[in-house]
Amino acid sequence: MRSLRLAWLSLVRQPARAVLGILGIAAIGALLFDMLLLSRGLVLSFGELLQRSGFDVRVLASDAPPFTGPRLADASALAGRIARLPEVEAVLQLRVREAEIASFGGGGVAPDGPMDQAVEGVGRRRRVEFIGADPQVRSMWTIVEGEDLPDAAAEAGPLVVNPNLARRFALSPGSEVSLRGRCANSPEALPPVTFTVVGIAEFPFDSVTSTTIAGTLADAGRLCGDAGVDRAEMLLVRSTPRAGAPGAAAAIRALEPLLHVVTNEDLIERFSRVEFSYFRQISTVLATVTVFFGFLLIAVLLTVSVNQRLGEIAALRALGLSRSRVIAGVMWESAMLVGAGGLLALPLGALLSLWLDAILRSMPGLPAALHFFVFEPRAIVLHVALLAVAAVAAAAYPMRIVAVLPIAATLRREVVS
Amino acid sequence: MPSIVEARSVSRIFPMAGGAVAALRDVSIGIARGDYIGVVGPSGCGKSTLLHVLGCVDVPTSGQILFQGREVGSLADAERSRLRLREIGFVFQRFFLLPMLTAWENVELPQAEAGVARAERRSRTQALLEYVGLAARARHRPSELSGGEMQRVAIARALANRPRLLLADEPTGELDEATGRQIVTLLDRLHDDGTAVVVVTHDPAVAGRAHRLLRMRDGRIVGEDVR
Repeated sequence: MRSLRLAWLSLVRQPARAVLGILGIAAIGALLFDMLLLSRGLVLSFGELLQRSGFDVRVLASDAPPFTGPRLADASALAGRIARLPEVEAVLQLRVREAEIASFGGGGVAPDGPMDQAVEGVGRRRRVEFIGADPQVRSMWTIVEGEDLPDAAAEAGPLVVNPNLARRFALSPGSEVSLRGRCANSPEALPPVTFTVVGIAEFPFDSVTSTTIAGTLADAGRLCGDAGVDRAEMLLVRSTPRAGAPGAAAAIRALEPLLHVVTNEDLIERFSRVEFSYFRQISTVLATVTVFFGFLLIAVLLTVSVNQRLGEIAALRALGLSRSRVIAGVMWESAMLVGAGGLLALPLGALLSLWLDAILRSMPGLPAALHFFVFEPRAIVLHVALLAVAAVAAAAYPMRIVAVLPIAATLRREVVS
Repeated sequence: MPSIVEARSVSRIFPMAGGAVAALRDVSIGIARGDYIGVVGPSGCGKSTLLHVLGCVDVPTSGQILFQGREVGSLADAERSRLRLREIGFVFQRFFLLPMLTAWENVELPQAEAGVARAERRSRTQALLEYVGLAARARHRPSELSGGEMQRVAIARALANRPRLLLADEPTGELDEATGRQIVTLLDRLHDDGTAVVVVTHDPAVAGRAHRLLRMRDGRIVGEDVR
């Protein structure tokens, strides 16, 4: 009869103790699993978000976070020089402008629809973010309805809008929208510019409340009356598969040593080290606390159980069962409690993480596609490893009790008691 | 006849908070095949300690225990465990059956530990339960058995690896008189079948069946009756 079976029978002999132990470990394990998902969740999700944009290198004028530092001068010429590098497949200039919707035509494609409907007074938010980009380069957004920006400039500036904006203003391909730029370099009110919606697109970095519009580079200039100013906030670069992001970044740095060139990996590493490190620290502290609670729970259960069975254990030793056999029995009990609880913890933790993720993602301004809790196989491996360590550590004291149990003295004490 | 186990000038002293207590003082005794020995004496005179020392679950403070000529004190814990498993059977006052196992499984347990093949275990367990008259209760757990039945299962368990020596510590201590008589009859049979039996008891009925009766007091053997 194996130690495993004896341990199993010892557990089922006291089902309430076993169930409580397993449920306790399941609850603790669920928290542990969530902390492991949280520890790298943001980094993984952020990385996926960057990948989804379809570009792997960013070129900026300084090391300030995107859209907060100085703009790139002579952006078109710079983009052209970079695009000619053999390590580079494509370059997309980004010019980001603030604007507000002056008026819009709802109801779809009819040009004689309800145009010039005043927005003021309706109480809707009108501010939008306008991204000017080169339509000849495959864009970073994903069209979900209608078409992308045409390669050749149309007479009425073409726009793609995000689903939030489309929903809020009942926009669809064919709708007309008038935008008024809110530009820092123009102290006076600028005249509105009329555009035509050609498509609805999802933008990777949109929050749940974002109102984003994409148009051509020229239209970004028209919006702020600075069409002649060739400045861009950022260049997005797609490397060739052969060179990869590091190769392309190195080539760009060699070409333009004064510019700040970062790959997606650089950004992820920086965010992991700086911006997201708080979550990692919190999750490390909480994971340590949960593992410690798990250790305490199992240690108490096993110690009580062993102390209740000292006479039995001494008798088994007197009958010739080896010390290692009775120690293995305690270890197996610990492993079974922690194993069952740890398994149950996985679905519980997954459900809990969905709930917590939804709470955290409702913070304003975060990209809607950004997740705090992200599954990766490594989390399961760590979960199992940490619980295994807890199981072994928790069994250590009761195993010691069994290992050093004086057989004769215990038998004598049991009879006297 | 050569001894199965022999105690030579054995003393066992327990260090206590109020001073050392000598449970055995210079005890010498040999137990050979065919012996049926009873050990009697007042509580605390060292009867159980003698049994534990002879059964290799305790080591003497001084003196020697030779089991089939081998000095037990020089054996490692694992070797002593193996010796107990294969050569010695223990019967306890409180039975100490594993409550989560059936009578059958309790008897099988030491055999499994000794590596007895499954088929052999089955036939041996069946035979042992029949021997103690409990074949019909094989699938019952200890909580479903009476005190006498539990002690009979404990005896079957003690015999599972066909030991040369059976040590019983107050085997009738928890049983009523009638049930105790059944156990005594079983011990008689065991002896008749060739197992050396040593019984520690307060019960005159049990002591009266032994062929040698050792009287103990203050850790010493103070008298011996041979019948």
